[in-house]
Amino acid sequence: MLKMMLIGAVAVPAIAAGAVAATGVVVVDVQERAGGHHIVVPVPLALAQVAAAFVPENKSHVRLPAEAERYLPVAREVLTALAEAEDAELVRVEEPGQQVSIRKEGDRLHIHVDERGQQVDVQVPIRLALSVLPDQGGHITASDAVWALQHARLTQVVDVQGADGEHVKVTVY
Amino acid sequence: MRRRTLAAAAVCIPTLTMAYPARTAAQGPSAWVHVRVEERANQSKVAVNLPVSVVEAALQAAPEKVMAQGRIHLGHGGNDLSVADLRRAWNELKTTGDAEFVSVEDGDQTVRVARSGNLVLVHVEKPGGREAVRVEVPVEVVDALLSGQTEELNVRAAFAKLQNRRGDIVRVHDENATVRIWIDEGK
Repeated sequence: MLKMMLIGAVAVPAIAAGAVAATGVVVVDVQERAGGHHIVVPVPLALAQVAAAFVPENKSHVRLPAEAERYLPVAREVLTALAEAEDAELVRVEEPGQQVSIRKEGDRLHIHVDERGQQVDVQVPIRLALSVLPDQGGHITASDAVWALQHARLTQVVDVQGADGEHVKVTVY
Repeated sequence: MRRRTLAAAAVCIPTLTMAYPARTAAQGPSAWVHVRVEERANQSKVAVNLPVSVVEAALQAAPEKVMAQGRIHLGHGGNDLSVADLRRAWNELKTTGDAEFVSVEDGDQTVRVARSGNLVLVHVEKPGGREAVRVEVPVEVVDALLSGQTEELNVRAAFAKLQNRRGDIVRVHDENATVRIWIDEGK
């Protein structure tokens, strides 16, 4: 009996950890200014998806204007063609005190913004961008959007470094 | 049976392995469309580099109607030119060979449309180099743009032809800004 309880005590957390690892975890890491708090919040994707499923349908749907909806196929075709293109800097904008760069790096789009000391880096896997594009009716649900993060496993999707030392990172494992 | 399979493999494997490099060599290096915009007043620079395949994909998926009722709006005076008129004029002009089709001196501005070899040149200039627009489009691109019988410009066909061009397509240079659009094989 004791042996069974011991096996259960080990197996249940191991299975739970395995399930969480298999479905993915989003880790939000916030480092406040020097001497401030350091907060790390791991959110299992499966849990986030379950929570998203409870959001009322009218609150979780993004409804696109008809004009934007007409161009959804263009966005889809462009992203698909980009996925097959060579790596390169696609866009670069330079203004006094501000710099924006969009690069294609492997299967990801890397957006870098440098504005007066504040640095923002966003990495979007192209498959993620494709899967969050609304459907033909212009709909996307919160649950679909969360599930799409599966395509961003092992990616630091957001990295924001404030000029005052604040640092926020969002990584999908 | 086994001998026949081996014989088939002996023929197929070298054929397939030889065919693959031949195909990739025929495809050649990919072409890129580049856009550069520099504005002196606010010291801004914009650079856009897109593979031709991406632009083509966007054009293929773009909504059919880009231009209303097949008419090109000219200026602010409400003067329109129909695609049919333009197609008729182009069919007459392109047979004349190298020539200056249009030359307009309007106040302090000179507009020149000419054909030089395989290119259609549109130059707009103001004295002292204050403003200059130079558009260079291959004849076959204009042909493709005006292909078809409908009252619409065939932008997709024109871009398909434009992919073969290497070099400048548009250069605009004025007091405040410069714009350059070109196609080459560099990223």
